[in-house]
Amino acid sequence: MTMIVETRNLKKTYMLGKVPVNALQGVNLRVEKGDFLAILGPSGSGKSTLLNMIGALDKPTEGKIFIEGVDVSKLNDNELADIRRRIGFVFQFFNLIPRLTARGNVELTMAVTGLGKNERRKRAEELLETVGLKERVNHKPAELSGGERQRVAIARALANNPKFLLMDEPTGNIDSKTAHEIIELVKSLNEEKGVTIIVITHDQNIASQANRKVQMLDGLIVKGKVN
Amino acid sequence: MKTSDVFSYAFGAIRLRKLRAGLTTLGVVIGIAAIVALLSISQGLQDTITEQLQTGFATDTLIVTPGATTGLGAMGPGGAMGPADFHLLVNDTQAIDDIENVSMSVAIIRKVSYIKSDEKEFMLYVVGVDFAKYADIYSSTFVAESGEIPLNPENETVVVGKRVSDPWDNRTLFCDVNDTVEIIWNNATARPQKNETYAGHVAVVLKEIGGFGIGPSDNSVYIPISQAQSFFGTDECYMIIVQLENDDEATIESVSEAIEEAFSGQVSVTSSTAVLGIVTSVFSTVELFLTGIAGISLLVAGIGIMNIMIVSLMERTREIGILKALGMKNRTVLLIFISEAMIIGLMGGAIGIASGWGLAHIVARIGLGGGMPMGNRGVAAGGLTITPVLTPTVFLGAFAFGIVVSVVFALYPAWRASKLKPVEALRYE
Repeated sequence: MTMIVETRNLKKTYMLGKVPVNALQGVNLRVEKGDFLAILGPSGSGKSTLLNMIGALDKPTEGKIFIEGVDVSKLNDNELADIRRRIGFVFQFFNLIPRLTARGNVELTMAVTGLGKNERRKRAEELLETVGLKERVNHKPAELSGGERQRVAIARALANNPKFLLMDEPTGNIDSKTAHEIIELVKSLNEEKGVTIIVITHDQNIASQANRKVQMLDGLIVKGKVN
Repeated sequence: MKTSDVFSYAFGAIRLRKLRAGLTTLGVVIGIAAIVALLSISQGLQDTITEQLQTGFATDTLIVTPGATTGLGAMGPGGAMGPADFHLLVNDTQAIDDIENVSMSVAIIRKVSYIKSDEKEFMLYVVGVDFAKYADIYSSTFVAESGEIPLNPENETVVVGKRVSDPWDNRTLFCDVNDTVEIIWNNATARPQKNETYAGHVAVVLKEIGGFGIGPSDNSVYIPISQAQSFFGTDECYMIIVQLENDDEATIESVSEAIEEAFSGQVSVTSSTAVLGIVTSVFSTVELFLTGIAGISLLVAGIGIMNIMIVSLMERTREIGILKALGMKNRTVLLIFISEAMIIGLMGGAIGIASGWGLAHIVARIGLGGGMPMGNRGVAAGGLTITPVLTPTVFLGAFAFGIVVSVVFALYPAWRASKLKPVEALRYE
């Protein structure tokens, strides 16, 4: 199997005022192509910090993190930006640009990589159709429900054909019915399209769909197969 | 990200905050408008004055005034600072005519007097000249509109400027050809003071000259030199105009020196070249000063831009985090913020130039259009028509200055935005 993400003895220490906080204390994790990995754990266990590292949004204090074999901990800002273009982010609070329409938000991801206007427009519409928002392409986030916003976020995350989707509590801010639909969508993306998915969640429903689960506590993986 | 997409994104961000962007742009508009209005009026004024001087002060003429000072100061009434007992006399033209390269000279007696017709009375300059010589020197301005300039005039003959005839510029004539007007001069040297008067016969109304000049004026009354000598009871003249054989610099210099020598350095000789040089120099200084003042307002606008950008940066921290999470590079974020400033500068520049240009025309029309005679005893003020001039340098310079100021003041906020760490920006509430 192809290795997508690998962390080796990953450590991250924050300074909270003058007090050091060891958010990650040596995490070892491997994610392979086609995996659907759920990372579980209580608040403060280091899940979000780990997500930031895997998403190349932050650098570790110690240890190494490889994304498709590239050691992210040694990259500069520009190189990190290039890596992020290959990752599809889905956030708990959607993080859509409010002034752009659903299509505009999806297009923006492709505009960042320099894709032409016609191409990205066509692809944005296809992706929004995939997530069931064909009729809502011209609506701004404020005109969409929580579930619809998260679908737009998923469509946006898929826009650049990412190596994996990195989801942070994707159902954390939507009602249970819509959450179920999102879970089904994510599951189908993994099973039918082979999209690798790493999801951080408290939601047992989404975790139950994952083919791998790891449990975090105090900055360490305490349960589950590291692989 | 493509440049067009960067601009499109930046424009979208500006459109979202229309009022704020509008007010920020207004700062640039005011700065640019001030620069354009001040400089175009100043340039127009300079062009008008230069043109007037060139018309009224032919390049092949010299002005001789009593007093040892040189330059413009010597030409104003009482401007000369010569010895109190030295007077330039009408027959001093003979000495000047003998100088090599001088083709002729004409003495001018000028006094502030009143001209009366029916119930109206105006204060103006009554100028005594030799009509024939004066018309020869100022062949393009001392030209009759009605009547014919007499070469051997009667003592009562009067030539009036266009605005003396039609002071309100509405065809309500104060006097016309063949009218009789009363010339009144207050003789302050007589004891007791008394008003000297005589009835003049208007033989000529001059064509409109416009503005002002050293030569003929729309607001003056011209009488024969001999009549001026007897009416004002003096041979003392205000100035002597000297016409040269040519306008070579060497001729101007040699004749000037010869005249000064002939009068033992007690006269000032001014050439048109020197006057134009002084005018240009004065205007350069004035323009620099005006640009400085307008520039300050633009700098204030720049600080406004920086302020707004910093506020915008704080409001959009999360958005920047999202953009970076999507893989946007630092320089693209920098470009987005700079583009926003550039768009504000471009809009401010365009609107500012248009408003400044309009403002210049309004000011030129209502502010500097020349005085109107007021009441029964008004002043026939000089009507100076100014056409604002927008040179390509001012146009492009103002536009570029607006954009540069906007961009320079946006650099710091843009740099800060580009350096935001994605993880911190996404966490920003």
